[in-house]
Amino acid sequence: MESLSRRSLIFGASSVVALSASDQAKAEVLTTSGALDPVEGDVTWSKAPCRYCGTGCGVEVAVQDGKAVAVRGDEKAEVNKGLLCVKGYHLPAMLYGTDRLTKPLARQADGSLKAVSWDEAFDMIASRYGDALEEFGPESVGMYGSGQWTIFDGYAALKWVKGGLRSNHLDPNARLCMASAVMGFMTQFQSDEPMGCYDDFELGDDFVLWGNNMAEMHPVLFSRILEHKRKNPNVRIVDIATRRTATSHYADTYIEMTPGSDLALANGILHLIVANGKVDKKFVEENIVFKRGIEDLDKIGYGIEEDTNERYTFKDEGRASSLEELETFLEDYTPEKVSAITGVPEGLIRALGELYGNPQRGTVSLWCMGVNQHVRGTWMNNLITDLHLITGKISRPGSNPFSLTGQPSACGTAREVGTLSNRLPADMLVTVEAHRQRTEEIWGLEAGTIPAKPGYHAVDMFRAFARGDLKCLWVQTTNPWVSMPNLHRVTKPEGSFLVVSDIYPTPTTDQADLILPSAAWIEREGMFGNTERRTQHWDKLIEPPGEAKEDAWQIIEVAKRMGMGHLFPWATEEGGDWHRPMFEEYRSFTVGIGKDLASYDQLREARGLRWPVVDGKETRYRYAEGHDPYAKKSVHFYKAKKNGEKAAFWLRPYQPPAEIPDGEYPFWLCTGRVLEHWHTGSMTRRVPELHQAMPEAYVEVNRADAQELGIQEGQLVRLVTRRGSLELSARIDGRGATPRGSIFVPFFDENLLINELTLDAMDNISKEPDYKKCAVRIEAVRE
Amino acid sequence: MRALVVLLTLSLAACGGSEDGGDAASQGPSVPVAGREGALKTAPLERAKRRAFDGAPPTIPHQPMGVNCTACHNERGMDVDGVGFAPPSPHERTEGLSSISRCEQCHVFRTTDATFVANSFVGLPQDLRPGPRAYDGAPPVLPHAFLMHENCLACHSGPAAREEIRTSHPERENCVQCHVTQSSPAIFTR
Repeated sequence: MESLSRRSLIFGASSVVALSASDQAKAEVLTTSGALDPVEGDVTWSKAPCRYCGTGCGVEVAVQDGKAVAVRGDEKAEVNKGLLCVKGYHLPAMLYGTDRLTKPLARQADGSLKAVSWDEAFDMIASRYGDALEEFGPESVGMYGSGQWTIFDGYAALKWVKGGLRSNHLDPNARLCMASAVMGFMTQFQSDEPMGCYDDFELGDDFVLWGNNMAEMHPVLFSRILEHKRKNPNVRIVDIATRRTATSHYADTYIEMTPGSDLALANGILHLIVANGKVDKKFVEENIVFKRGIEDLDKIGYGIEEDTNERYTFKDEGRASSLEELETFLEDYTPEKVSAITGVPEGLIRALGELYGNPQRGTVSLWCMGVNQHVRGTWMNNLITDLHLITGKISRPGSNPFSLTGQPSACGTAREVGTLSNRLPADMLVTVEAHRQRTEEIWGLEAGTIPAKPGYHAVDMFRAFARGDLKCLWVQTTNPWVSMPNLHRVTKPEGSFLVVSDIYPTPTTDQADLILPSAAWIEREGMFGNTERRTQHWDKLIEPPGEAKEDAWQIIEVAKRMGMGHLFPWATEEGGDWHRPMFEEYRSFTVGIGKDLASYDQLREARGLRWPVVDGKETRYRYAEGHDPYAKKSVHFYKAKKNGEKAAFWLRPYQPPAEIPDGEYPFWLCTGRVLEHWHTGSMTRRVPELHQAMPEAYVEVNRADAQELGIQEGQLVRLVTRRGSLELSARIDGRGATPRGSIFVPFFDENLLINELTLDAMDNISKEPDYKKCAVRIEAVRE
Repeated sequence: MRALVVLLTLSLAACGGSEDGGDAASQGPSVPVAGREGALKTAPLERAKRRAFDGAPPTIPHQPMGVNCTACHNERGMDVDGVGFAPPSPHERTEGLSSISRCEQCHVFRTTDATFVANSFVGLPQDLRPGPRAYDGAPPVLPHAFLMHENCLACHSGPAAREEIRTSHPERENCVQCHVTQSSPAIFTR
């Protein structure tokens, strides 16, 4: 029987089915290679989390002769139970685009690129950064990272920039996607990340999606809700959106609202909860304090006014409020008034009031970019959580506000390690002396090493770089020359120094003075932390191509050359594995404070574990007695020390978007993703099946608008905003259908840069830009 | 060896659309496509064309039809004029994944043959061996994953089923009563 073991015996050599080649080539190989003759070949299957989104699906990767040859959904992974989406099923080909970066490349005076050794590359960085430090100080150097960084990469970056360069100019692209959720959780619970978990997808009764096209963006999680609904017909899905999507198709109720009016809608629901006597008074009394922040629009702005256009540092100030003040505050949000702002019929607003106010049914609110990429994104995060706080529908299985993430380790790396310009590990802040001291203590650095002033957030970082204030910038694992808003402002001045580490050439590497080839995904050891606080480890399974190296190693080697080798004492010349000691050092920040990560050894074995992990046991529901070992009563917001261990309910008003359609620019422009492509497409576009399914960006136009403008399906149209213009083909009622007066464009296409048109207005608290709302004109192009 | 493989093969879990023999097959198993060996040589090619590797979800071999997938790929399958026989979904009985609700989550159309950048990925080829049998005449063990393929008859019976993997006993609906999956090569130890 042994010889029949299905995993060790494969017919044909691995080249039998040359699937990425043309079908003709496939045919020749198959018909001439004697595919039916059995050939021995070792195929090993190993676990890894998917490389792409924040869902964190478990995959098993087949490796044969040192190459990834297949994946399958990991049936042992609780997240996805064996299912993947089309991106996940085509993961391996992502590694094999023929233009992989395999050598360090230095830009020459004539603009060409010359291969250099790693030593030369590191010396170049050490010398340019060293010179800038000497001449201009730590304010002149920085690093821009990623929610796709592994925990190792992020930790190395944090330690090097904040502990070595003594600069806080470290920010991740997660600023562009998750910062509003971070500030939502921090302002309310003084601790980041959700209390709930994916188990709610089988335990909730009502699922309310706020501006969240889950069917395309978190497809496997949406499948879990659909399966739950199939088995339990009473389960309801409510889709609140500004555009009909694949998700709307499966929703019981689709609620279309005017862009940016979600603030009014949430307040309208709060109004009804209070008016209908649905406040859980006991819960409120025991667990909540009321707060109110700065609401003066002139003081707050949007980060694009004369005095905020270069540096946007608005800081909110909270003051004590009360349930009584809330009642008065909500007088502005009667169903009638809210209907006028949102365009949502009063009946539907009342239905939402009933839904959130019903104590018999579990309510799960879900959101992602619609709420986070919002000029009042933190406020909107606050309001959704408020709906759960005031009804006591929180920290209970099947009833929670649950923020979804877009990147595989936005939580694990950007948020938990704290690679943001104002943060340190495990919820700590550079602005708090005790937090800096604790960090310096663990790192063995002298007091005062870490500066107290927050560094540039992402948008300001690129503004400072364009101005020439930031002299040296190292970008890893992200593609800002495609993904930043208002791209015309993202420029590289003469005399600046830009290093870009990536796996493929991108518009960002096109700008670089030095390009470093990175090892991708299973070409190195890694850990990601997903949306539900689950930390997942994978082993290095194959060798990276050419001289490509992992990002963390690149940082460590530069640190060593800059005399900062003491930061990474485990990375010795003799080699030896530094991943374990690095992780264990990082883990020491988290233990004993309710952010406890599992040990390196436990994570290597597990299909991921949800923190806090205490005595080897994971936590499904934070702050909930019986689940979270730190919770001392039924629901216990023990992290909110400043508020007497109570959560903060914030009164937050409606304010209009930064730019609203007018006579000259009469349409709303919304941007986002599509199922097949992930972010700027630098990986997914190199996968033939994904590219062939979705080869280029397009603009979704409403049918009646198209008729009025004389636009046909597939016709070339020109979009014009105050920032720029772009020509691309129109789709009328495609997979998404925009309402009249709105258009939608995906941002994955580096040849059709929609971000040259978007506005760099930001959330006042999180400084996350709003990619979802600006004013645009649309014209048919006559050929 | 080759002859033996051919005779025993029950492993071509090719859930074929019609253009690779569905129509011919629908006229009954007595109509040869290219003889048994010939069918074996062409079928894996047709099958591989639509899959990045063995086990990858196939891309959709026809143009968008403007209707829900399950309008044609329903419980019994449907003969569609000018296209061929649309087989039922092999995922129809998949529990816990709601996998039949969102076909487009995994199966995509091919709108162009172009690539953005050439790709050198070589996928795991299909394993063409039949499932092992304990003895001649014993029910073979499933030679492929069971998850997502619980609706055995979608591929192993009906007009779209290839001759070489068609079951002789579709009336015995509970296939897994006799055909088991081999989830571990280990043997029992006390």
